[in-house]
Amino acid sequence: MPEIILKNVTKRFGKSVAVDNLNLTIPTRSFITLLGPSGCGKTTTLRMIAGLETPTEGEIIIDGKTVFSSEKGVNVPPNKRDVGFLFQNYALWPHMTVYQNIAFGLENLKWDKKRIRQRIDELLAMLKIEEYEKRYPSELSGGQQQRVAIARTLAPNPKVLFMDEPLSNLDAKLRTEMRTELKRLHIDTDSTFVYVTHDQLEAMTLSTKVCLMEKGLLQQYASPLEMYLRPANLFVADFMGSPTMNFLKATAKKTGDCTCEVSFCGLTRTFTGSKPLGDVPEQVTLGVRPEFMTIRPDGPVKASVYSTLPAGMETTVKLRLGGEIVTSVIFGSVDYPIDSEVSLDFCGSDMLLYSTESGALIADGSL
Amino acid sequence: MLNPFSAKQRARLRAFFGKPANVILIVFCVVLTVLTLYPLILLFMETITIHAGKEARGAKLAAGDFSLYSLAKVFAEPKNAYSKLTFYEPLLNTLAVALTASLIAIVFGGMVAWLITRTNLKYKKFISTVFVFPYIMPAWTLATFWQTFFKNVNVGAGTSNGIMAAVFGIYMPEWFVYGYFPISLVLGLHYAPFAYILIGGILRNMDANLEEAATILKTPRWRVMLRITLPIVKPALLSTLLLVFASSMSAYSVPIFLGSPVRYYVLSTKMMSLINNYPGQGYIIAAVMIVFGVTILAINQRITGSRKSYTTVTGKSSQISLVNLRWLNRPLAVGLTIVMVMVAVVPLITFALESVIIKAGDYSLSNMTLDFWIGRNLDYLDQGDSTGILLSAKVLKALGFSLALAVTCALVAGTCGVLAGYGIVKRRGSRLSTLVSNLSFFPYLMPSLAFGAIYLAMSMRVPGLQGFAVLALIGSVKYLPFASRSGVNAMLQLSGEIEEAALIVGVPWYKRMLRIIFPIQKSSFLSGYLLPMVSCMRELSLFVLLVPTSNTLLTTMLMQYSEKGWAQFGNAINLLIIVVVLLVNFIVNKVTGASIDKGVGG
Repeated sequence: MPEIILKNVTKRFGKSVAVDNLNLTIPTRSFITLLGPSGCGKTTTLRMIAGLETPTEGEIIIDGKTVFSSEKGVNVPPNKRDVGFLFQNYALWPHMTVYQNIAFGLENLKWDKKRIRQRIDELLAMLKIEEYEKRYPSELSGGQQQRVAIARTLAPNPKVLFMDEPLSNLDAKLRTEMRTELKRLHIDTDSTFVYVTHDQLEAMTLSTKVCLMEKGLLQQYASPLEMYLRPANLFVADFMGSPTMNFLKATAKKTGDCTCEVSFCGLTRTFTGSKPLGDVPEQVTLGVRPEFMTIRPDGPVKASVYSTLPAGMETTVKLRLGGEIVTSVIFGSVDYPIDSEVSLDFCGSDMLLYSTESGALIADGSL
Repeated sequence: MLNPFSAKQRARLRAFFGKPANVILIVFCVVLTVLTLYPLILLFMETITIHAGKEARGAKLAAGDFSLYSLAKVFAEPKNAYSKLTFYEPLLNTLAVALTASLIAIVFGGMVAWLITRTNLKYKKFISTVFVFPYIMPAWTLATFWQTFFKNVNVGAGTSNGIMAAVFGIYMPEWFVYGYFPISLVLGLHYAPFAYILIGGILRNMDANLEEAATILKTPRWRVMLRITLPIVKPALLSTLLLVFASSMSAYSVPIFLGSPVRYYVLSTKMMSLINNYPGQGYIIAAVMIVFGVTILAINQRITGSRKSYTTVTGKSSQISLVNLRWLNRPLAVGLTIVMVMVAVVPLITFALESVIIKAGDYSLSNMTLDFWIGRNLDYLDQGDSTGILLSAKVLKALGFSLALAVTCALVAGTCGVLAGYGIVKRRGSRLSTLVSNLSFFPYLMPSLAFGAIYLAMSMRVPGLQGFAVLALIGSVKYLPFASRSGVNAMLQLSGEIEEAALIVGVPWYKRMLRIIFPIQKSSFLSGYLLPMVSCMRELSLFVLLVPTSNTLLTTMLMQYSEKGWAQFGNAINLLIIVVVLLVNFIVNKVTGASIDKGVGG
């Protein structure tokens, strides 16, 4: 089964660098998400692995076979890489029916008629689009087109499936539905999925591992939960999670091997790291996820309510703390009057200490 | 063995040529350079070469010598006002005619475009359909119509009266019948549809919200028009002005019909009269025309290039509220309809009428006969084989030749256009793509007659490049810009993913083209075939220098007949050409949905 390895892959368009020296190993049967803001090079990376784009430098290995190497001058065309590609706009051929769209690729692989018929029936049933077989793409809704595109991509049984923001053209409800289906599909097809998205929630919920990129540079490559709880730097911390993490400017003074004193928003507390801290710069940023900043009557810290946004299941409360606005999320629906005073507490051991200057994570711990 | 490339370079080359788009671009780059730049160099060589015959005798030099003799004759020969008559006067005439014609085209075409897209004008469907007729018909249609309608014994070398004089007894003055005024007017009317297509296209695609936003802010209609609409279409207006100017400058058939009888010369007709006896001087005028053409169109490229963002097609142009013309509506609609009928329908009737009368000037029924169409073995049918044109082997042969040529040029240019469009769009942004894009547009910049002159020079040096071969070659090259335009437009509308979806399952390139790309954009691509076909059918100036005999093509035959004064035959052939062109256009449009106004012609 295929494992995909990218070694020092760089892509330049003229003078601008789209992907900068990327190293990545995509394990067999994993569901990898390439995540990042638009223009970060995630689509380019995907297209380079698929062979639709030629890297400027580097090496790409799929299933032990070098498919691209600038050094050795190898560049295997996309159709010989045994991959499937699901396009953002589906790229269904408008002049062919659903059946013809799916069959076209198979005919080309010299499958016989009976086998094609069989495979298509199987796919149409799997994706629940049997009744649309004779329709043209323009006669289908967005969700149905999406399913046809998936069927077409899956038809030749590719070992690796690439998807480029496949859900971005669907409405919110359909998107959630398709996410569930994609996750099932990953297990059912027993293949490797590489998925591009700019939606961190999609990345969190779908993937086994997330690769977060910014400006062509890999920021962190980890499991979704690790990325959420231990973001490697301020960019990752800010990008992952909604509402976003609270960043509190602080000054630090090391007091012990694992401890230091941090002052922020007029408070001074002791930070206890989960491991020895090493060097601690004076200017630090304290990262606290909104759900770890709880409002409770006996909390030691006082803050005033700036605004309350109840959403039913949870409530986002914007608070004024010191001179800054912080976010707290509490379970259930509570409507705090604006400008009322509440008590806060920092709970748990998932407080994060970052160097303000470099943005790198110093340690995780508790306050 | 020594290998000039390292393994890495070889791999790079293999990867480069592994992409069909790159192969296409390289091939086009080489071929187009040979077919446009090489002949251009030849032409400039010809201007300083002494040719055998009168030129060699006049210069007292041997044929083949290099000399500035012709240059001096054209630009600075004071004797008998030679330079003035040969170059400076025709140049001024050309500029005057081109400027007037382009203004007429812009004002008339632009006005109709606005009326059709932005007002509640009556009979819109009829007017917009018939309005493009003069553009589909050959350029000389209106010119010959003008001549047959207004000519009289008092003007030019007048031997007979036209309808106006014969039927109504009105003798129009010379300035009205021949020279500056009718040439400018006829060219203006011919190119007005061109302005209409360009400006109308922009008005139609313009986001109506832009105008509505101003209306919401309580801007009066006329102010919206002046401050919003006009500035937005300004680049298109300017571009149209320049394109029509360049096209009118190189027009040949209109001034030959409406200018020569009174010795009113423009550059193109002057060049034609020089090319046989004084080839050097003829080539110089051709070169001047090319320089003008290239300059004007380079300016145009700059304008449209830098202002492209203006013409954003949002595709969301909602229902715009149309201007209510109120009491003006009916008079305007009726007036336009009358003009359209005069310009597009009456000429055809006139040609039909003129082709059946025996004695010129007498329009009574007893003076009419169908002999000129279907007569057989009649002595007074004096055009050579004593038969009417529909039975004449000579005419039918020319018709066949013309059709064969048109089909060949359409196939070659159209197919090249599809391929060029594919290559240019696939590699968009690369230097090679830009180069090929410019090269494939280059023939458009060349005045037809001058381009013909260049190929004449080339055909004399390249063995085998005569007759049908050279005609087909020049036709294909000259019309490539239309085809590659449609090709590029068609490809731009097609998302790259459509092809990649097939690429990823290993569909070979030719199959992707034939089964995916071409079927999806069928009608756009076919417009790229239609335009060369129709243009070729009605083309005169491009081929006139290159035909082996004037009986080769219908259009050149028409020229010859009209020179010899075989009026009935001339009119009959004229009608035949127009009918064939309209028929081809109609059939292709009905069968494939391709239409001439989808491409941009000259």
